Amino acid sequence: MQQSHAASPASRLPILVFIAWRNIWRSPVRSILTISALASGLVMVILYAAMMEGMIRQMVHQATAISVGHLQVHRQAYIDDQDLYATLPWSYLDKIRQDIPGIQVAPRLYASGLASTAETSTGVLIKAVDPRREAEVTQMLEQVRSGTLELGRASDSKEGLPRYNLVIGAQLAKNMNLAPGSELILVTQAADGSVGNALYRIAAVLKPLEPNFDRMGVLMLIEAYQKLMYLDDGFHELAIHVDDITRLEAVQAELDAELKRLMAAQPLDELGGKPVVRNWRQLTPMVADMLEMSKMITFVVGFIVISLASMGMLNTMLMAVHERTHEFGILLAIGMKRRWLLLMVLLESLFLALVSALAGVALGAGVVSLFGERGIDLSGTLPDGYDWGGLVFEPYLQLHLAPADLLNASLLMIVITLLAALMPAWRTVRLKPAEAMR
Amino acid sequence: MALLSLHGIGKRYRQGEVEVSALQGIDLEIEEGEFVALVGPSGSGKTTLLNIVGGLDAPSEGRTELNGTDITTLKEARLSDFRLFQLGFIFQAYNLVPVLSALENVELVMVMQGRPAEDRRRRAQHYLDLVGLDKVMHRRPSALSGGQQQRVAVARALAAGPRLVLADEPTANLDSENATALLDIMHRLARKQKTTFIFSTHDQRVMERAERIVTLRDGKIVDDRRVEARHHEHAD
Ligand SMILES: Nc1ncnc2c1ncn2[C@@H]1O[C@H](COP(=O)(O)OP(=O)(O)OP(=O)(O)O)[C@@H](O)[C@H]1O
Ligand SMILES: [Mg+2]
Repeated sequence: MQQSHAASPASRLPILVFIAWRNIWRSPVRSILTISALASGLVMVILYAAMMEGMIRQMVHQATAISVGHLQVHRQAYIDDQDLYATLPWSYLDKIRQDIPGIQVAPRLYASGLASTAETSTGVLIKAVDPRREAEVTQMLEQVRSGTLELGRASDSKEGLPRYNLVIGAQLAKNMNLAPGSELILVTQAADGSVGNALYRIAAVLKPLEPNFDRMGVLMLIEAYQKLMYLDDGFHELAIHVDDITRLEAVQAELDAELKRLMAAQPLDELGGKPVVRNWRQLTPMVADMLEMSKMITFVVGFIVISLASMGMLNTMLMAVHERTHEFGILLAIGMKRRWLLLMVLLESLFLALVSALAGVALGAGVVSLFGERGIDLSGTLPDGYDWGGLVFEPYLQLHLAPADLLNASLLMIVITLLAALMPAWRTVRLKPAEAMR
Repeated sequence: MALLSLHGIGKRYRQGEVEVSALQGIDLEIEEGEFVALVGPSGSGKTTLLNIVGGLDAPSEGRTELNGTDITTLKEARLSDFRLFQLGFIFQAYNLVPVLSALENVELVMVMQGRPAEDRRRRAQHYLDLVGLDKVMHRRPSALSGGQQQRVAVARALAAGPRLVLADEPTANLDSENATALLDIMHRLARKQKTTFIFSTHDQRVMERAERIVTLRDGKIVDDRRVEARHHEHAD
C-alpha cells in the first residue's frame, strides 16, 4: 500500500494551523464580537486584579513601613506576656548590625503606664524609640498630624522640673484634650519595683496609624524611657527593614542563625526565653490572611467573569461547527482523521482566545497605566481615608499591575475558553460523513 | 480479479416505525480502468450505493471487496486510511475548503497522506494544469466558477493517486456545456491514469460519455451494459 510515505503526524499540524487561522476570519464580525466579549472580560479581571494588588501593596506598606517593619525579634517571654524583663542585650544589636548586611534595625522598648493631666487620667502604652534608627526602618515618625517631631529634652517646666518631649496618638490627644505644648504626667512601675513618674511635654500628635497606638500610644526617646523605668540593660523589640524584600525568608533564616551564635557566645537568662524572629506575615496574621483571601476572591471573580464572557465563544464555535457540517463531512470522506478535525476546531478556539488575550492585556495595561501608580482618587468622598482590617488607608485606590497577574489572567481565560470549546469540538468527533453531506 | 466486487449488498434505513429499503441484493463487479455511470431516478439508491462503496456508510448486509480488501469489516481508522490512499471523491458541490486556494485544496489530501512538500506541490500543479486551471490555481473557491470548482475537485481526487474515484452527481450543479466538458476531462484523465471511475448522474448527455451504464431502480440493478462512449477527445 502507499501508506509507506505516511510522515509523522506533526507534518499535518502546519496546514491545520493555517486552516484554523483563516477560518476565524471567515465571519469577521462574529469573530470580532467574540474577541471583544472575551477581551472586555479580561480587561475587567485585569482591572480588578490591579485594584486588589494595589490595595494589597498599600496594606503591606501600611503593615510594614509604618510601624511593624519586615522582621521583628523578641524574646519568647515578651511575646507571651509582655514580660518587662525579657530584654535582648544591647551588645546583640551591634553584633547583628555588623554581621548581617542589607538590613536596617531599630530597637524599641515598651511599658504600660498611667497618663494624667490636671483634669483626667488614662492608661497608656509607652513606646521608646531611637529616632535616627527608627527612621531607617519605618515611617512612623513622619506621620505627624500636628506639632513638630522632637523627642529630646524639652525646656524645664514653669516649676523648674526637667521634661522630655512626647509624641502621642490622635485619639489619645482628643480624649485627654491634649495638643502640642500641653503637659502630661506619666506614672509607671519601674524595673526595680519602684514607682516611676515624670513630667513630659507633648511635642506632636501622630495621624491615625493603627487603632492601638491611636488610642493609647505614647512615644518617647529610649534615653527618657531608661530614666523613667530604670531599665537600661537591653531592649524588647528589634524592628528590621530588609533592603531587598524578596530575600525576606533568607534574611529571617540568617537572623535565626546569628541569634543562635550570639546566645552561645553570650547566654541569656532562663526566664526571658529564647529570641524569636518573625516576619510581617507572622506578626500581622490578619493582614496575611486577608492577602490570601483577596487572592482567592480575585481568582473566583476572574473565573466567573471570564466564564460568562466565554459563553460567547461557546456560541460562536457551536455556530461555526454547525455551519460547516457539510465541509467537515467532505474532509472526513477524503481521509481527514477525526482527531485532526477536533484539533482544528480547538485551534480555532485557541486563536480566538489568544487574540482576545493580547487585546485584553494591551487594553487592561493601558487603562491601568492611564490611572498611574497614584490610582483612583477617592479624597472627594473619603477625605480621611478608610479603615480596613485594623489598618487605616489613604483615600486613593492604587492600581498595580503585577506581570504574573497578567499572565495568570490570560492563562485562566485561555483555559476556560478552551474548555468551552470542547463541546463544539466534540460534535465534529461524532459526525458521520454520509449524514453530514446529506 | 475485479477491482471492485459487491456481493448481495442491501441497505435499509429505519425511520421511526417504518423501514425504508434503499438497496437490495446488489451484485456488481467493476474491472480496473472502467468508466462507469450509475443512473436511475431520484431515490433509486445511487448515493447510498456510492457511499457504501466509499466506506462512508455501512451496508445492512452483503460484502464490498475493493482491491482484495473486504472494507465492510474495516475499523473506522483503517477505513479512513483506506479512503485516503485508495479512493478519490468528487461530490455534487462545495467540495473545496473555502479558506484554501485551488492549489492548497489539491495539496490537502496529499498533506494528509504525508507526502513530501515538493512532491505534492509538483503533483498539484501538474493536475491543475491537466484540468486547465493553471492560470487560476492561487484563487480561492469563491473566485472560481462552479465548473472550475468541480475541475479542482477532479484534480484533487486524482493528484492523490487513488485506485478508484467515486463521483456522486459531479455535474448536477453545472449547465450542460460545463457538464459535458467536465466529463470529457474526467474521461481523458481516467484513460491516461488508468484510474477507475464510478459516477452517478441524471443527465442523458453525461451518461452518454460512460463506457458502461448501470441502472438502478428502487434499490435494484435493473440494467447493466457496456456502450460506445461518445467523447470529444481533445488532442493532449
Ligand atoms: N439517512 C437516510 N435515512 C432514511 N432514508 C434514507 C437515508 N438515506 C437515503 N434514504 C432513502 O434511501 C433511498 C435511496 O436514496 P439515495 O439518496 O441513495 O437515492 P439517489 O438515487 O441518490 O437519489 P437522488 O438522485 O435524488 O440523489 C431513498 O428512498 C431515500 O429516501
Ligand atoms: Mg443522490
